[in-house]
Amino acid sequence: MVLPPAAAELAPADQARALYRLSDPALSELGLEELLDELLVRVRDALSVDTVAILLYDPDAHELVARAAKGIEEEVEQGVRIPVGRGFAGRIAAERSAIFIADVNHADILNPILRQKGIRSLLGVPLIVQGELIGVLHVGSLTPRQFGPRDLAVLQVAAARAAPGIERTRLFSALEHEHRVAMVLQRSLLPKRLAQGTGISAAARYMPAGNEVGGDWYDVFPLGRGRFGIVIGDVVGHGLRAAALMGQLRTALHAYAIQDHPPAETLELVDRYVQAMPESAMATAAYAILDPETGQLRLASAGHLPPLIVGGESPRVLEMSPAPPLGAFPYGSWPEHEFQLMAGETIVLYTDGLIERRGLPLTESIRMLLDIVACATSAEEVCRLVVDHLIPPDQLTDDAAIVAMNYGQVSADLQLRLPADPGVLAEVRVALRRWLRSQDLAEPEMREIVVAVNEACANAIEHVYPPGPAEFRLTATRSQHELGFTVQGSGSWRGEPGTADRGRGLAIIQAAMDEVTVDRGPTGTLVTMRRRLSR
Amino acid sequence: MNLADVHTEIQGSALVARLTGEVDLSNARVIGRALVAAVSNQTETVVLDLSQLQYLDSAGIQLIYQLQTQLRARRQQLRLVVPPDSPAADALRLAGIADQLEVPLFWSDVQ
Repeated sequence: MVLPPAAAELAPADQARALYRLSDPALSELGLEELLDELLVRVRDALSVDTVAILLYDPDAHELVARAAKGIEEEVEQGVRIPVGRGFAGRIAAERSAIFIADVNHADILNPILRQKGIRSLLGVPLIVQGELIGVLHVGSLTPRQFGPRDLAVLQVAAARAAPGIERTRLFSALEHEHRVAMVLQRSLLPKRLAQGTGISAAARYMPAGNEVGGDWYDVFPLGRGRFGIVIGDVVGHGLRAAALMGQLRTALHAYAIQDHPPAETLELVDRYVQAMPESAMATAAYAILDPETGQLRLASAGHLPPLIVGGESPRVLEMSPAPPLGAFPYGSWPEHEFQLMAGETIVLYTDGLIERRGLPLTESIRMLLDIVACATSAEEVCRLVVDHLIPPDQLTDDAAIVAMNYGQVSADLQLRLPADPGVLAEVRVALRRWLRSQDLAEPEMREIVVAVNEACANAIEHVYPPGPAEFRLTATRSQHELGFTVQGSGSWRGEPGTADRGRGLAIIQAAMDEVTVDRGPTGTLVTMRRRLSR
Repeated sequence: MNLADVHTEIQGSALVARLTGEVDLSNARVIGRALVAAVSNQTETVVLDLSQLQYLDSAGIQLIYQLQTQLRARRQQLRLVVPPDSPAADALRLAGIADQLEVPLFWSDVQ
């Protein structure tokens, strides 16, 4: 039976009071699930019914979808969908009017769960917001019940009060869903862990703005021969698209960088990639390559904020000539700058979200950041200081990223303990060259020593004795007139001088060093080498 | 970003293979395989250019010996380009084989 709307005054006062609270502000804080759940409980109590259910309208499918229920939870669990126009709920939706079914057994009921549950009588009303159908709310009784005008009035009050909240929450959930997807995307597109090397350590943070993700990214990757690339970038825009674009640019830059293109050329290639995109896009970015052997830093910036060098005697802002962002003009090109990093210093790259403050000129904001991190002794400390002192307690207005790379001190003695894997030899050579450089050695002398020590390490790696620990140790020390090196491996050298392969290694060591001893002990082989200094 | 790369170019009956980067125990075998794969039946001479190489160790020297053996079996020749002040020259000199390597050495850049 289709019912005419009942007058709201018919709803008994005490029942109505509970229902009026359905629009109380506290409920607007709830998520959709909690809001629907609260609504169902209040309706069930107000009307003393056995079942309550809410179906929401899916305009794409022109169907009602069971979203929340009490007493007939199966309806939701099974994801019941009712075409608009068919069955009990479908007709309420199509006709946008209340329907009362006194005896379910003699009615056109589409959803078998209602019958299986033993529901005898049903009363349902449409949920309407500003003339648009958003769903159906219905109640049921397990005993035959004559729902009267008062019951209908109560249900209509409930529907009228709750519908706007449901719609608002649903829209918000959709937005929130996109926000969550963008957030997950952003997270998954940023590097999981940053590359580290002997004497090089990096740290980074990404902080989303409270309500939106942006297109900030950072990266740190090895470039062969001990060098490291460090990147910061900021795609213009927000949300999913910016996050997706950020992922593309991070990948493109990394892909060009590992082909050994210098920073300025790498930015140029990424710019051409951005220009070739079907939709217009723009991003600022800075890319630097650090050679740990010398501390040389090569840097190019496409309209990005100037990097800082901190942790040394003169914390400074790396001033560069202004340059356009990527994707801004056709055939853009960027100058390359060279800086010198001293041992112990840290290079800091960041995005504008970190420092932009209303009413504060950018140069002052940069100065403020410099002051905060000036004395940091590690990349991690830089990030910690920034998070502690720069992130406002409420929330950021723009997303922010920071990445820092520390160029470690050279200790008086070199001590390395590394896995017995041929892949670490390149790292050993870089660390050794850096140490030798700190000893002020001439280039030819340095090269001979590196070749010899590398051979000793290669031997230790090749002759690892399982099940001992698969690692080896290298030390380098200096006395007044000579350098001393030891390589301790867990295996025993089988190669004797004269055999084609390893013998050649030993020949090299003997030719490059003034004194070589090989001690084959029960736990492994210790090679001690000495080289007298020419000056 | 390989530790080393092989760049090959065919010049008439010669295959010019230029190595860049660093060759050590970790990649010598792979580089050797890449070189052999680049050699065709039409190749009469392989010119191995080590002038751009920034590091060579005994595993790399071993690779040169093995390449020479394989080429000889196919009646092909190996030539090395090793500038005297290059890192490759250092390694060959320290290994004491710069003089006895049965491969003609061009102590200069390839023309």
